[in-house]
Order: sequence, then C-alpha cells, then structure tokens
Amino acid sequence: MMTTISAFLASKGIYLLTLILLSLGVAGIIVCNNYMKKLICMNIMQVAVIFFFLCFGQKDGGTIPVAVDGLVKAADYINPLPHGLMLTAIVVSLGTTGVGLSLLFRIMEKYGTIEEDDLIKREKKF
Amino acid sequence: MLIVVITVPFIAFDVLPVIGDPESAPNTHVSDYYIEHAIDECNSPNMVTAVIVDYRAFDTMFETTVMFLAGIAVVLILANRPRKRIPSAGSYKRSMTVAGRAIYNTVNKDVMISAIEPVILVYAIYVLFHGEVSLGGGFQAGALIGMTYLLDTMAVRREKPLFRLNKFQSGAIAGLGPFIYAVTGIVSIIGGGLYLEYNKLPLDIHQAELHSIGITAVEVGVTIGVAGTIITILNALIERISFDDDND
Amino acid sequence: MTLILEAVLLLGLIGITVAIIFGKDLMTSVVIYCAFSFITMFLYIVMGAPDVAFTEAVIGVISTVFFIIILRSINRKTK
Repeated sequence: MMTTISAFLASKGIYLLTLILLSLGVAGIIVCNNYMKKLICMNIMQVAVIFFFLCFGQKDGGTIPVAVDGLVKAADYINPLPHGLMLTAIVVSLGTTGVGLSLLFRIMEKYGTIEEDDLIKREKKF
Repeated sequence: MLIVVITVPFIAFDVLPVIGDPESAPNTHVSDYYIEHAIDECNSPNMVTAVIVDYRAFDTMFETTVMFLAGIAVVLILANRPRKRIPSAGSYKRSMTVAGRAIYNTVNKDVMISAIEPVILVYAIYVLFHGEVSLGGGFQAGALIGMTYLLDTMAVRREKPLFRLNKFQSGAIAGLGPFIYAVTGIVSIIGGGLYLEYNKLPLDIHQAELHSIGITAVEVGVTIGVAGTIITILNALIERISFDDDND
Repeated sequence: MTLILEAVLLLGLIGITVAIIFGKDLMTSVVIYCAFSFITMFLYIVMGAPDVAFTEAVIGVISTVFFIIILRSINRKTK
C-alpha cells in the first residue's frame, strides 16, 4: 500500500501538486483585485517554480551535498546543481519583491488606491 | 480551468523523470563531475558552494549585480519629493495624548534586541567564513546581516544604535560587493589565468589554499552586496512611511 | 516515506494559497504568507536541500517585514 502510493507520487503525484500550486499562483495574479495580493501570488508562483527544479535533484539513498569521509561515489549525494541555481533565484526574488513594493507605493501615492477597478475608473475620469 | 490547461499536458505525456531515480538525466552528466571533483579541485566539501562560487562563478557575479541594480531601482523609484505625507492609519496619536507614553516603549524589548543582535552578527560571520566547509555561504551571511539591521531599525528608538546608514551610503556599500567580485577575477587574470580561475592567483602557496582564498574573497563580495541591497531597500521604503509614534 | 511527507506539506501549501487569495484582510494575507515561507523551508529540508532552506528562512522573514512596512500606509481592507 505504502509503496504503491510512493511509486505514484514519484512518477506523477508530486509534479501534479506542484503544477496545481503554480497555476493557483497564476490564477491569483489574474483574479485578485488588490495589487499587494498580486505581489504575494507572484512570490507563491516563484516558490512553485523553485520546488519544481529541486524535484529533479532528489536521489534515493543520498545524503545532503556536504562531503563526508568515506563516501566518494556520485550516487551517495543529492545533486547539488539545482540547489546552487535556486539559491541565487531565491535571493533575487527578494530584489524583485522590493522593486514591486516600491512601485506599489508610488501607485498608492499618485492615485490613493491600490484596488485595480478603482484605479481603472480613475484613469477613465481624466 | 486554468489548472486543467496547465496540468493535463504534463500528466498525460510521460516526459518528466521519476523523482529519486539516480539514473535520470538531470542526475547523471555534469552533476556527477561536480560531486566527484569538488574536494580535489576546489577544496570545498560543501558542493553547493563549490558549484555557486567556483564552477559557475561568472553566473553568480551577475546575480549579485542584479541585486545591486534592484536596490538602485528602489532608490530611484522612490526618489521624488513627497507632495504630502500620507496620513497614518488609525488614531494612535490621539490615544497617545490620552494614555501617555507608548505602551510598547519598554525596557524589556530593547534589552532583548541588543542582546540578540551581536549573536546574529557573529553567526553571520561564522556562516560567511565557514561557508565552504559547512552549510551556508555568502548569500545567507548577507541576508543575516541585513536582518540584524532590520531588527535594529524596527525596534523602539534607541540612544545608541548598533550601526545606522542612510540610503546613499548603503547603496554605495551594495555597489562595493560586485566590485570586490570583479576585482578578484581581474587579479586572477594578472596571475596568468582566465577570468575567475582561482588557481592562477599570483600568490606563492599551494593550489588548494588558492582556491580557498578565491572562494572566500568572492563570498565576502557577495555578502557585502546582498547586505547592502537589503539595507538600501529597507531605508528607501522606511523613510517614506510615517509611523504612528513619529514625533514630527 | 519522504515523498508522502512532501505531498502532505504541498497540500498544506495549496490550502494556504487558497486562503491568501480569498482573504478579506491584507494583514492576514501577509501573516499567512510568512507561514507559507516557513512550511516551504520545512519542505526544502525534507527534500535534502539545507542550503536552500537556510536562505528561504532568512529571506521569508525579510520579505514579510517589507510587506508589513508597506501595509502601514495603505488600506488594509480589500474586497
């Protein structure tokens, strides 16, 4: 029973859940009316993408990628390449969040609202 | 509907590798080389650090530059003079005149934060210089230093802050990080190697030591860049927001 | 066994995302986002990526504080 569930998760299930998370993030960006919520949903989407990359690096029976005495084979360690790539991606996501927040603050200063439909109404008035 | 549109093609066709398979395509070709040669070639038991700042150092240089540019962009976007201060939400000021001093202006939190800040800073330095042996590295150390500054700023106003920078100083510090990184590469060119080829640094010591020195120099650059960027973004955001307990 | 734990944590993340999208108060959304990044950190540790988990722990806290700083000057309620 356990092994069947694990086999299903390894081949399809984890990818399915990750893609549901990704599409929920995209749906949040499209559906939400508030710009701040859109920004949070953008971060969620980013987490889904990072998780998708890290899925490739997993290995059965591997330890974390810090070298231990006596283990020299490549099969003994988890793949460090996606970790390195995604670590920089997480740090850069902080930069994009900061730029997005400053843009949001400027919108708030100029129009007095961050709701999208109010903003469109105000645009049409001018 | 969107979920179905995105998910179905991935599930219907069997294109993705099975998770946990040691023989799958992402786990074989180049990553095997990285795992087996990280200790010999880079003298760095932590393979993630070896991949980031040694094998793919040129990539990481531009990641640091992107962080610096993000900090500069925040400063430039918020550079206009505010027409009027946005009225602070709530009526805290009125309640303060009634109730007297702010209720959270207590000794307890202040002492707690000044006790915990040096510990975080020491831990950040440990993570920075131990990044090639154990977990951690330049990015984490920079984020920890930024978090120390953030704690220092968000706490109640103190007589003697740990360190205080304005946004131009911190922006300059953030620019110093990629500069250190680039200079490390140029020094290795002077030694006769390629850009960022650490074992050609012009020093007369063993090759493994040279790799350690190169990795540490680059990580100091990354740390300064990331910490400076976080402090810049925080400064630029916080000086435009009026707080309830500002007495202006 | 690891994969089952991952699946449970991912289901938790999906529930949190739905809560963020349909929340009426922005402060609630931001605090739930902090919980989101915390569960993400745990997920990375389960997957065997402690470096990434370390980064995510620090960065999640910092971005939550940025969101809260901005929340001081905008209207918290949303439709």
